[in-house]
Amino acid sequence: MRMCIVQSIAAAACAAAAWWPTLAAHGYNLEFSLKGAGLVLAAGSCSVLGLFAIRADWLKQRNHLLEQTQACVLAEPGVTAPPPADPQAAAAAGKMREQVEQMRSRISQLQVQRKSVEIQLRLADAERRQTETMINGMADAVLVTNNFDELIVVNPAAAEIFQIDIPASARKPVSQFVEHPRLLADIAEMRQNPSRGNRRNLEVTLPVEGRQRTFSVNMNCVLDSSNQLSGVVTVLHDNTREKEISKMKSEFVSHVSHELRTPLSSIKAYAELLVDGEAADDTTRNEFYHIIQGEADRLSRLIDNILNISRIESGMTRINKKPISVTGILKEVLEVAMPSAREKNITLVDQILPLFCQIEADRDMIYQAALNLVGNAIKYTPAGGTVRVSASADESQGVVIVNVIDTGVGIPPEAMANLFEKFYRVEQHKNMAKGSGLGLHLTQQIIETIHKGKMHVVSEPGKGSSFGFSLPILA
Amino acid sequence: MSVKTILCVDDESHILHVVSLKLQNAGFTVLTARDADEAFDVASSAAIDMVITDYQMPGPTGLDLARRLHKEPGKRDLPIILLTAHGLGIEQIDIAQAGIACCLSKPFSPREVLGKVNSLIEESEKTAAARQ
Repeated sequence: MRMCIVQSIAAAACAAAAWWPTLAAHGYNLEFSLKGAGLVLAAGSCSVLGLFAIRADWLKQRNHLLEQTQACVLAEPGVTAPPPADPQAAAAAGKMREQVEQMRSRISQLQVQRKSVEIQLRLADAERRQTETMINGMADAVLVTNNFDELIVVNPAAAEIFQIDIPASARKPVSQFVEHPRLLADIAEMRQNPSRGNRRNLEVTLPVEGRQRTFSVNMNCVLDSSNQLSGVVTVLHDNTREKEISKMKSEFVSHVSHELRTPLSSIKAYAELLVDGEAADDTTRNEFYHIIQGEADRLSRLIDNILNISRIESGMTRINKKPISVTGILKEVLEVAMPSAREKNITLVDQILPLFCQIEADRDMIYQAALNLVGNAIKYTPAGGTVRVSASADESQGVVIVNVIDTGVGIPPEAMANLFEKFYRVEQHKNMAKGSGLGLHLTQQIIETIHKGKMHVVSEPGKGSSFGFSLPILA
Repeated sequence: MSVKTILCVDDESHILHVVSLKLQNAGFTVLTARDADEAFDVASSAAIDMVITDYQMPGPTGLDLARRLHKEPGKRDLPIILLTAHGLGIEQIDIAQAGIACCLSKPFSPREVLGKVNSLIEESEKTAAARQ
């Protein structure tokens, strides 16, 4: 601003100097005029300069006031800035300061609220994802329907059961995908009677991949905060396998009970006949004693077999694996089986090669497995037949092979698939010998489950059977 | 009173032996069969007054045998005793529908079997007398 004033005065002086010769040439009394003009110019300049000086001072004060006010109003929270010197400005600054404080406080509150909302949103999003992952990862089928019985949630398990294309199913009537009338009726009924405690359990059978499967269904109403229905959640748990296992357990108990009761019946009945003096002579009495003894042994073997199978299946059996040779075990089995073979006039042939290789096995278990096979061969071979027991090593396969070959009745082809099932007995041969149908199952468990070996069987009805197993050679 | 003939059916030879012996000692004539088909053949070829049969045998069960025999002319009221070692029991309705007179669980007492046989024979004779 000062520079402008100086420049104006200088410009005026220059203009006067320029016009001086011209005015003098025209005879003007320049001296008088000059003095007057100089006075006027000086007075004007002084006035202008004064005004400018006043304005500059005012501006300076105003700026200072503004700076003070600004410093006072905008001072950091907790910092007390001196108020402006001007009382009016100080009052205004005070009010403004209060307003600024209020605004600051409000902004701070809003920022906190925003952060809280952001956190809640993030949490809600995480929860949604978590729930979505849980629902999608569930083995149980989940269907959620809305107020109009339209699908709003379908998890992959439900999509598989009902053949639903998940993206295409959104907001489509559930009846388009679920055909089971009871299921649809119950979903509709749940929707019509929404209450927090309204839940329903039912069992339905649905065709899945061409097989009838049983599902236990659990339905629940989902209500919002104002107790309005927001959906019906239907969860289907496939309990087909559980039912099968339960049935198998019942059948097992039934079989065990039947097998235990049969020898027990004989023991009880013969004992009663003896007590009642129904045996006519000593020979009959001795016969009864032997029958009772034999049936008691049968009962004992049966209980042992059941317990062994149960222990193996539950993984509770104590296994004492050691490097052993099968040769010694098989020789022992032949020795034990010889009397019953001789009794039936069956030739027991020893074809056991001396083996130098060893297997890592539980001796008692392998003995039990081999004895079961030899015992079966004797049982189902008519008098005059032959049972051959062989053992050899197949170095290329790294296994020891044991075979029990008989010239017995053989096994019908239709029975081959069930031979190793618990309690299975070939119908046609039940009358040939007593048995529980547990021996082969136990043998298979010992060889395959405990020793990771392999059972094999070849049979021809009327000609005989070859049962055997292979076990890995100890390296 | 004529000697009564009883048919015993069981795939367990010891059971057949023990029941037969008890009944024979009590003065009954006993015929035996190892399964339902054989029993049906025996019952068709001989006059029998009662059947004692096991439930679980190779082939048709004791209930199947009872149903089949009761369809035969003159055997509609044939008293049949069922011996069973079946673990879970047999449905009562099946027993009733097959016309089983009495059901005994294994292990059974031969005395009990004889007692049932006597009471059923007596009952059967009373019914026959009432009809006459």
